[in-house]
Amino acid sequence: MVDITQSLTEGKKILEKKLADIKVLVGYGETAYHLPVSYSLTGKEVNSGEDAEIAYKATSDSLLVATEAIVAAGSVAGSTADNSIYTGFIGDSVIRKLGYSLVDGSILGLALIAGKASEAGIVSGIARELQEKLLLTFLAGDIAKGLDNEGVKIGLGYRLVPLGPDTLSGIHFVDILARVAMMFGGVAPGDPSRLLRYAEERAKAFVIALPGLSPEEIAFIDALRPLGIPILYYKGYEGENWIRASPENIVQKGMELRGIKVMVTAIPIPMACSPAFEGKSIRREEMYVEFGGGKKEAFELLTMKPKEEVIDGKVTVIGPEISQLKEGSASSLAIIIEVAGEQMKKDFEPVLERRIHNFVNYGEGSWHVAQRDLIWVRLTKEAVLKGLKIEHIGKLLALKFKMDFPSLIDAVQVTLITDEPKVILEKKEAEKIYMERDERVAGMKDTDVQLFYSCTLCQTFAPNHVCIITPERSALCGAISWLDGKTAYEISPSGANQPVQKGAVIDALKGEFEEVNRFVRKASHGEIDRCSLYSIMEYPMTCCGCFECIALILPEVNGIMVVNRDYKGETPSGMSFSTLAGTIGGGAQTPGFMGISKGYILSDRFLQSEGGIKRLVWIPQILKDELGKRLIDKLEQLGISSFYNKISTDKNATTIEDLILFLEKEEHPALSMPPLIGG
Amino acid sequence: MALKALDIYKLLPKKNCKECGDPTCLTFAMKLASGKADPDKCPYLDPQAKEVLGSSTKPPVKPMRIGVGERSFRIGEESCLYRHEKTFYHAPGFFLALKDSSGESQISTIANRVEKDLLVRAGQDLRLNGVAIISDSKNPETFGSVVKKVEELVSLPEILISNDPKIVEAGLTYCGSYHPVIHAATRENYPEMCRLALKFGCRLIISEGDITKIPELVNECVKIGVPDLILDPCVDNLSDCLKKFTVIRKKAVTREDASLGYPLYLDTGRFKDRSGSLYLGILKYASLIVIHDLPEPVEKAALTLRQGIYTDPQRPIQMEPGLYKIGEPGKDSPVFMTVNFSLTFFTLQGYLESSGVSCYMLIVDTEGLSVLTAVAAGKLTDTLVNETLKKADLANIVSHHTLIIPGYAAPISGKLEDETGWKILVGPRDAAEVGTFLESLQSGETK
Amino acid sequence: MAEKGTYEWSSRVGVVKIGATKSEGGTRGKSYTIGGSSNIPFFSEKNPPRIALEICDDIAFWPGLLKDNLPDITADVSEWAKKGEMEWGADLIRVYLTSTKKKHFSDFPGIKKVIDEILSGTTLPLIIEGSDSPEIDSDVFLNCGEAGSGERLLLGTAEADRYRSVAAAAIAYNHAVIAQSPIDINLAKQLNILLRETGMPDNSIIIDSYTGALGYGFEYSYSTIERIRYAALKGDDDLAMPIISSAPDTLGVREVRESPPETKYETAIQWEFGTALSSLVAGASIVCVRLPETIKLLKTAIIDLSSPSVEDI
Repeated sequence: MVDITQSLTEGKKILEKKLADIKVLVGYGETAYHLPVSYSLTGKEVNSGEDAEIAYKATSDSLLVATEAIVAAGSVAGSTADNSIYTGFIGDSVIRKLGYSLVDGSILGLALIAGKASEAGIVSGIARELQEKLLLTFLAGDIAKGLDNEGVKIGLGYRLVPLGPDTLSGIHFVDILARVAMMFGGVAPGDPSRLLRYAEERAKAFVIALPGLSPEEIAFIDALRPLGIPILYYKGYEGENWIRASPENIVQKGMELRGIKVMVTAIPIPMACSPAFEGKSIRREEMYVEFGGGKKEAFELLTMKPKEEVIDGKVTVIGPEISQLKEGSASSLAIIIEVAGEQMKKDFEPVLERRIHNFVNYGEGSWHVAQRDLIWVRLTKEAVLKGLKIEHIGKLLALKFKMDFPSLIDAVQVTLITDEPKVILEKKEAEKIYMERDERVAGMKDTDVQLFYSCTLCQTFAPNHVCIITPERSALCGAISWLDGKTAYEISPSGANQPVQKGAVIDALKGEFEEVNRFVRKASHGEIDRCSLYSIMEYPMTCCGCFECIALILPEVNGIMVVNRDYKGETPSGMSFSTLAGTIGGGAQTPGFMGISKGYILSDRFLQSEGGIKRLVWIPQILKDELGKRLIDKLEQLGISSFYNKISTDKNATTIEDLILFLEKEEHPALSMPPLIGG
Repeated sequence: MALKALDIYKLLPKKNCKECGDPTCLTFAMKLASGKADPDKCPYLDPQAKEVLGSSTKPPVKPMRIGVGERSFRIGEESCLYRHEKTFYHAPGFFLALKDSSGESQISTIANRVEKDLLVRAGQDLRLNGVAIISDSKNPETFGSVVKKVEELVSLPEILISNDPKIVEAGLTYCGSYHPVIHAATRENYPEMCRLALKFGCRLIISEGDITKIPELVNECVKIGVPDLILDPCVDNLSDCLKKFTVIRKKAVTREDASLGYPLYLDTGRFKDRSGSLYLGILKYASLIVIHDLPEPVEKAALTLRQGIYTDPQRPIQMEPGLYKIGEPGKDSPVFMTVNFSLTFFTLQGYLESSGVSCYMLIVDTEGLSVLTAVAAGKLTDTLVNETLKKADLANIVSHHTLIIPGYAAPISGKLEDETGWKILVGPRDAAEVGTFLESLQSGETK
Repeated sequence: MAEKGTYEWSSRVGVVKIGATKSEGGTRGKSYTIGGSSNIPFFSEKNPPRIALEICDDIAFWPGLLKDNLPDITADVSEWAKKGEMEWGADLIRVYLTSTKKKHFSDFPGIKKVIDEILSGTTLPLIIEGSDSPEIDSDVFLNCGEAGSGERLLLGTAEADRYRSVAAAAIAYNHAVIAQSPIDINLAKQLNILLRETGMPDNSIIIDSYTGALGYGFEYSYSTIERIRYAALKGDDDLAMPIISSAPDTLGVREVRESPPETKYETAIQWEFGTALSSLVAGASIVCVRLPETIKLLKTAIIDLSSPSVEDI
């Protein structure tokens, strides 16, 4: 057990002596950088022992600088080791190719294994794993020879590069990093902080220190830590800063520490999967077994868990597997997905859960309908014949979630329960979670949040239009709620949904906010100056063309009518939906007119500035029916249940004249409210 | 500054009397706001309101009809500098030039060409629009006789071109009752030209190369009482054409100068680059374009460009639903279903044609929506496809009952199979891959 | 400014350098600065727009019209490039490596050879279009980048789900990149942001918002180009890059294919000319065509459009 701290002090002394002993330093050919590491740190060339000493002092005794000079002094310019397996210093043109592979993603990261040949048995397994995971590994020390003797293929073509027989030749690992940073990272020589940032962000690297390193080798390796490169080991050391892991886990650990993820591309189950199968339904005659669908209990749930609780890729089936289920039968099913991720948030749970439906339908022999505790799933006879098992569905889900959400999900585990009593038990817990989620969204108020979200998806058709989405006002297309906007932004920060600060409140009743105005001004390219989120008469929100409904003023009755897209008939305004749509769309801000979603009619903020829902004078009957109980409940909540009958529909008026008669008869409140026009 | 609908409404009598032709004052106000109505239509407007409305609601570029009868067409009524702001409303008319020194055969060739040339694209008939008769001879009788001959051959809109009012009048003797366009009033001859315009109800082109001097000339003609003016800024090179036309259109739509609010005239014969000036004129606001020689390739390209630029960006061109053939399809040929959005149609058609495989395209009416949008909006449904299939009697046209649907329509594949009873194959999402898809079909990889 | 009928803009289109002369580290006879406009197209352009001749290294993959009319030239990619420069007056040569379309293509060193041949055949700056299939991107672009090292190529084409390899080649070997999106201004923006995240500097990105041929969606492209120019002038940094336009389907459209033999070639020319001229008027800084006659027409038109007018500032 070697104590690292002690070795550092000893090692440093040894290296300093070697540095001082340098007589001649010729350096390397085939490079524009003399010497890469010190040049990148100091901006100055090193061509002699004195230069090296100066650089060493200038970098506050960087042992990397010292080691580089020492190794350079020992090598002869322009030659690579002849007849031996070692590469020695690698020239710039090869390094350029390496940088390319890092950017284009064919190499995910870099690793350095430093140490002796005696460990070759254990290391061969580690080396193979590194190769599989698309990492480029460098070998420093005669471990390279050891692996070669074990029959492991080494060389640049095998992504296992033997740098030199001496562990200190590991300095080439660093001079490669430095050159890549200077060639592609825009890191200027003499800018150590930028170099560090580049190493941390782009050149994801880690080191595996084999047991038995000498003090100066330990000192050199440890000097890599300030570059953000972790040092891992599996035995032989004690100390705080180096990280211990077993040989089976050491690669995984290194990748985890540097955030290196392997991309999943294939789903190894005996069933084809593709979006092309999405719409294919499975008939009774074709199915082997079905779950839920009203016949048996079934539910699906996706929740976020801490990373310690999630074993990536783990699929468990609790209860009978396919072979134990009778053909043609119905069974219970619970689909429980647990995900963990640095970037994952609880709010994303329902959004990700919805994807279970799509993913199961991608299977050629699997079919899924509905959501939550209403799901209905079928598997075909054909698929089962080909060997499909329930666990394969779990595998499909696990892999698809990783494939589609690589930035959000670090680990996913799937539990499929087919044991009926257990399903029923778990379902109770799931239902609690569904209710919690519903209450969270329903209860959310605009005043609860700091940020609204924008949507510019429709700018292809309406170049200056932007929707501002708040918890109490979804997008006018009806498809994007505040939570959807937030999730979309966090999943793709450069997408069409951006956060919008509220800023100072200019007018709480009208819903005018300083930063919202500023945002709208920019997003509309200067066309729109101000936007009142809760008003239809003053600076209402602009609209594109895909609104579910249009709200507009009927001056004759001092009220607001709403007409929805599905209603094809005449309205008291004298204009049909399509006529209105033609004149108010395209990103224009038209006081007295607004494109809205159906749901917004039920929001507290609807017509807030004009007195609220009491201004509503007319909507098509089909819309009234669709809003149904929700509208009735809302009015009851407001204490105006009788208002329901005062809202006219096409059943009692389609012209303004008829509407006036109706509203007067019903004593509609709008008639006696403050005038909408003329103020 | 354009007034908004409500501001306009405030100025209206609010009687809902319907005498303007609209059911409510609000409707009328909305039309005025988008420059699509005339304030004069309201009989109860007070003079103050009329003045305010007049200057701020009339279409920035004066609308007018060119010619009479079946081949007449509208120009003007524009309000944008860029078509993506809203749309360009009225496509320019193409007039073939005919010199009055031409012989009989030349006259009939040109006149008949304008009448008959037809390019059918995306369900629309694309044509030339009129004849521009130019006084080369400087002789009123010669000019008059050519106009007469043209009138005998065809009934098309005309432009009479001469700076000499006597010559123009000679022509008007034969076609005056059809309200042709006359070119041109200049600072020197405008009183007589205006008189002719008033007498015969002509649209009058004003010719003046200096933009700063155009307003003055316009105002003189307006004072005399000629309502329908067209501007000719006398451009003969691409740079001036682009720049002058842009400046004039800009000043009109921003209402900076109402006297520039008239349609523009372009004579490509003045240019060295004939086809370039024609394309430029289409892009940059010309309403009447005189073309001196028009080889068929240029004609096809120009008609196609004009059709495209003057399509409303928010109302994409739709194809007629039904069955279309690619190559020589037979009973075993594959059938590809897709939507009637013209872009989707042409893209798929192009790739199918390049594949060299004869097949059918079954086009369904999704009101011009693309596949993705139509699926999301619930417009591309199993019932719609089935109806279209039945209407085309497809079951009797192909012996296999297999339908290939676009990749993005996969979600409805199951329902489609149930509704139609046909086998549904889900094709690629990207039309470009249709060739590879067909290959795998033929080799039996896909079944 | 207002009386001159133009606008007051708060920003301008960025510039991208293409090609490197000897003093700049390459072997090109000239190098270009593309973009830089501070107004709507041709209202005082700082750098004139450029015309690229499109050629390919395997004519079998292109519409037959070219082979039929120029059989000898199109068989030799280097001769073709030379002709483009010496006789037809192109400003740039855009090479499509159509040979990579062959099934299971794997001759990556061959790519270097082809590019070397072209580099010696012409002194014009080059645009190199890499592979068609994502699977071979990495190898193809590595070889393109290396072969053109020092020449400041314009490499094509980066798309939203396929940009890493071309970006890597551009960063590694100091080239510029074409960023292509499907006629959607928001997607164009997003791609630029994604490219920036790989480390591409703004001055090395040229936007291609995809140009459909006349009658095949051209007007969508036209408006998108206009909107991008407008956004750049209004200060949107994510769209302030110069634009390239090419309508690759033009020579194969039905109107050309079904023309009578005597007017077929001329129809193709007019289709190309109409598309390219309109793209220039909308705001493109590089237009690409395949027919020699079109280049001539465009050159004259550009000179004319760029000539001073009394309406310029």
